Amino acid sequence: MPDPTVEQMLAEARAQFAASLPAKAAAIEEQLARGAWEEAKRAAHKLRGSAGTYGFATLGAAAAEVEEALIASGLQPDAGAAARIGEKVREARVEAERIARGGT
Amino acid sequence: MNRGTPPSTDPAPPQEQGVFNLGELVAGNYEIRSVLGSGGMGEVYEAHDRVLNRRVALKVVRPHIAADYLLREGRALAAIHHPGIVAVHAMGMHRSVPFLVLERVRGLSLDRMIDERRARGESFGLVEAADLLVAIADALSIVHKAGLSHRDVKPANVMLAPGARVVLMDFGLVLPHADRAGHRSVAGSLQYMAPESLTGDLADGAAQLGDVYALGVLGFELLTGIEPFDGSEPVDLYRAKTRVPLPRVTDHRPDVPVVLADLLAQMMAPEAADRPQGAEAALWQLRTVRKGLETSQAPRRFSVLVVDDDEDMRTALTLYVRTAVPDAEVEAIGDGRSAVKSVRRRVPDLLLLDLDLPDINGIEVCMLLRGMQLGSACMIVSVSGRATKADVELLQQLGVRSLEKGPALMNDLVGLVQRMRPARP
Repeated sequence: MPDPTVEQMLAEARAQFAASLPAKAAAIEEQLARGAWEEAKRAAHKLRGSAGTYGFATLGAAAAEVEEALIASGLQPDAGAAARIGEKVREARVEAERIARGGT
Repeated sequence: MNRGTPPSTDPAPPQEQGVFNLGELVAGNYEIRSVLGSGGMGEVYEAHDRVLNRRVALKVVRPHIAADYLLREGRALAAIHHPGIVAVHAMGMHRSVPFLVLERVRGLSLDRMIDERRARGESFGLVEAADLLVAIADALSIVHKAGLSHRDVKPANVMLAPGARVVLMDFGLVLPHADRAGHRSVAGSLQYMAPESLTGDLADGAAQLGDVYALGVLGFELLTGIEPFDGSEPVDLYRAKTRVPLPRVTDHRPDVPVVLADLLAQMMAPEAADRPQGAEAALWQLRTVRKGLETSQAPRRFSVLVVDDDEDMRTALTLYVRTAVPDAEVEAIGDGRSAVKSVRRRVPDLLLLDLDLPDINGIEVCMLLRGMQLGSACMIVSVSGRATKADVELLQQLGVRSLEKGPALMNDLVGLVQRMRPARP
């Protein structure tokens, strides 16, 4: 079998990344649930950059909102802010699951 | 062969009349474990620091040597912090004997390595030798920038430690450049001393040029396995060092490129004014020679270092680079400290650097690399998802370009790489 081309490797990497998205979003939800704000911010930051780069702009934007909201709260969100951030993460997870099912 | 002052770390049999005794507890904390080096000037011991639970090296001078030597060495080392220079931890007094507590550097001294290679009939590779000279010149440039001259640069005072670390040791003869009287006192290791150091006739402002000379001699020895000058007495060596024609490294090692042979000859010029004017100048020229060796030895592949703590981004960036240059040599790592280490080991053509790294951030990495004066040898490009305007401006000042993570990144990066490295026909 010939070696895959760079284009094939890119397509494979994008598919693998898409498949991993629900777990990434779920991880952020779990970090928020236990108040690990710094961890959640870092994970959202990574997702913001990588989702955008792999061409999943809506998810990248959702992750960016989570990151910015956490930063705005000084990594100490009050109950109201935490609820709003939690809602944004749930939206991100829905989008991640849609992508993993083959959405673009 | 005159190797001058004692080597600092190689294990040696215990001396019967040491300044300190094996097992002795020095200053209530340092338990003497072994003798690392012993000579006319003093002794170096390995000791266990009980409080901090670590191995250290303890240095003492013999009673007939002025304790000032030790104080000067300690103060000089305290003023310098660089991975290529042995670190000082403390200075103390025990039984009225002053001692210096130094970092215990494990490894092999360069003179041992030269001897071993010689015994096996092997010599250092050109790139290997150039890398060592660059590393020593780098450390020496820090010493010179601190206003000091080492005055005893020689293979025995260079340690090759794990992690490709090259460490300049034994600052026992160190002096400030401005100490005119000190520089006129003749001290050092004859083979490596410049002619003016042998006579004590140093011109004002030229104190550090003796170190450049010694580095040239060291380079000659590294490449040929032999010392360039015959003689054991200062007068004989002075004649050998000033007699024309001077020995050329290519007489013994024809594969050494002319540019490197010329540089070593320039470093060993009898007149201090004809040498590179300090370790920084020598370093710059050595780096140029080193870069040239790489390109002349093999058709060089375009090399890229990708630094991002997100594995998905490392994958994407690696593949984008390969889209532009399929045979690119890509190294991908996840933290800033490893990035600095990697660049020190080998300068890539392109460094793609995430700004938001877990240990030291991308801007700090750029600041550290700036000290290496990479110039045009390496293009640094920050790749960030959240760079502020202030970040971008600071990066611009550091000569770093910025790309944004997002859907346009692939096109931006492929375009940039293709402009750097046009596709081969």
